[in-house]
Amino acid sequence: MNKKHYLTLALALAMAGTAHADPTPDWGDKISEKEFLEAAKRSFYLNDPKEFDRLRDETLEVCNATKNRPSAEQTKAILEREQKTIVYPKDGKLYGDWKKGKIVVEDAHGGRIGYPGFADADNPKHPNGANCYACHAIDPNFPQAGNMGPPLTNYGKLRPKTDAMVKYTYDKVYNSKATNPCSLMPRYGGPKHLITPEQVADVVAFLLDPDSPVNNPPVTTK
Amino acid sequence: MKTTTKRLALGISLFAGALAATQVLASDDKFAAYRDALAGDNPGEFWIDDGKKLFFEKRGPKKASLEQCDFGLGPGVLKGAYAQLPRYFKDTNKVETLEGRILTCMEKLQGIKPEEAVKMTYLNAAEEDSRPDDLTKIATYIAAQSNGMKFDVKPRNAQEQHALELGKKMFWRRQGAMDLACADCHANTQGKQLRGVDLPDMTDIKTAGKVMTAFPAYVLKDSNVRGQWWRNERCVLAMRLPWLKTGSEIDAALTLYMLNFASQSEEKIQVPGIKPRA
Repeated sequence: MNKKHYLTLALALAMAGTAHADPTPDWGDKISEKEFLEAAKRSFYLNDPKEFDRLRDETLEVCNATKNRPSAEQTKAILEREQKTIVYPKDGKLYGDWKKGKIVVEDAHGGRIGYPGFADADNPKHPNGANCYACHAIDPNFPQAGNMGPPLTNYGKLRPKTDAMVKYTYDKVYNSKATNPCSLMPRYGGPKHLITPEQVADVVAFLLDPDSPVNNPPVTTK
Repeated sequence: MKTTTKRLALGISLFAGALAATQVLASDDKFAAYRDALAGDNPGEFWIDDGKKLFFEKRGPKKASLEQCDFGLGPGVLKGAYAQLPRYFKDTNKVETLEGRILTCMEKLQGIKPEEAVKMTYLNAAEEDSRPDDLTKIATYIAAQSNGMKFDVKPRNAQEQHALELGKKMFWRRQGAMDLACADCHANTQGKQLRGVDLPDMTDIKTAGKVMTAFPAYVLKDSNVRGQWWRNERCVLAMRLPWLKTGSEIDAALTLYMLNFASQSEEKIQVPGIKPRA
């Protein structure tokens, strides 16, 4: 980091501290859930009434009502409920193939719906991806990463590859809300979300495997 | 030679990627230089000409033009109309966006059903298969009549106040298959990026002003002009929510909520703006 970088960083920090137009922690509290859902029924086009379910979720309802700060009691209820949703691969292996995991992590396909005939709606026959780079830096060779979540580069290098770590990683990817009630990270596993138990296991391997590019220095091009 | 060039290009793109990851504030600055270079020859200007033609053309079963359409300042008054939308309209008892109001007038004056009028706009919202559509052309023409003016959108009555609150709810409510609220990516997120792309903080007055005064904007990735509704829908799509209807209650509420911030900035409307991808 040279001087200019430090200046940029200082500026970023200063800007992060500036007052916002809406300093009150008001998330539209004057509008009730019922009122919002009625407006939503009039505002969203539904190909199938089931699509409306995406606007309702028991856990998010608590997170929204408490502005992501659920009480101890609410936290307990969320963790218990979300823990129950986690499904493991049929063969019992929580650690899959890192090469397949690499594809799941990069791919952004999945879950998009739309107006009939809309070209960008996702093809249900194509396997979904988790688009992890939207928020995390992971494989150091991947050029575009977001910074909404912590960097996961060297994830396996920094952690022991124990059964407990494999399970922790699996659970975190499958359902982040099973360990952190209102985690910013989306829940990825299961039919309501994007990927299958087998795909989650592949992502686990991609993060933890010593041969995975995640845990190796970037490949230099000469 | 070819291989060398290829490698060099790859090296540069990797370097640029690494740079984007470390210098979070710099990436939009780079685009700004490109935007300035293109500003004199913005391809979006064609949408204004096409929109003007469509506005005055006698169309629909009633063979009428849109000249008598009232955008809130009286029938046919276009200067400054965009700067005060969305607003509440007595005749429809709705808060309407520019696009929503155009749909209302197309139905009333020309007899064109809204479902028919938006069809092409919906299909063309795709990145993969994007062609110009009439609604966006008309919207761009009307919006351009407010160029050089500041947005003046604030709740003036109970209906607009309700829309502001509903927009706030839509903006902050976590929902959809990704468990995300608009706010998770667009509030208090200065310096944050999504897959290498800067996230505008829409609760920051200056940023909201910069973003909102640029739409309808020419989007380079799509080679198409995109309006306010499209901007909302692209995020809604990424959140894996159902399809947001153009000019609907929530579309208008969300637009009004963000324009209320933009109106407090010194930024002036300058459309069509130029955007790299969104």
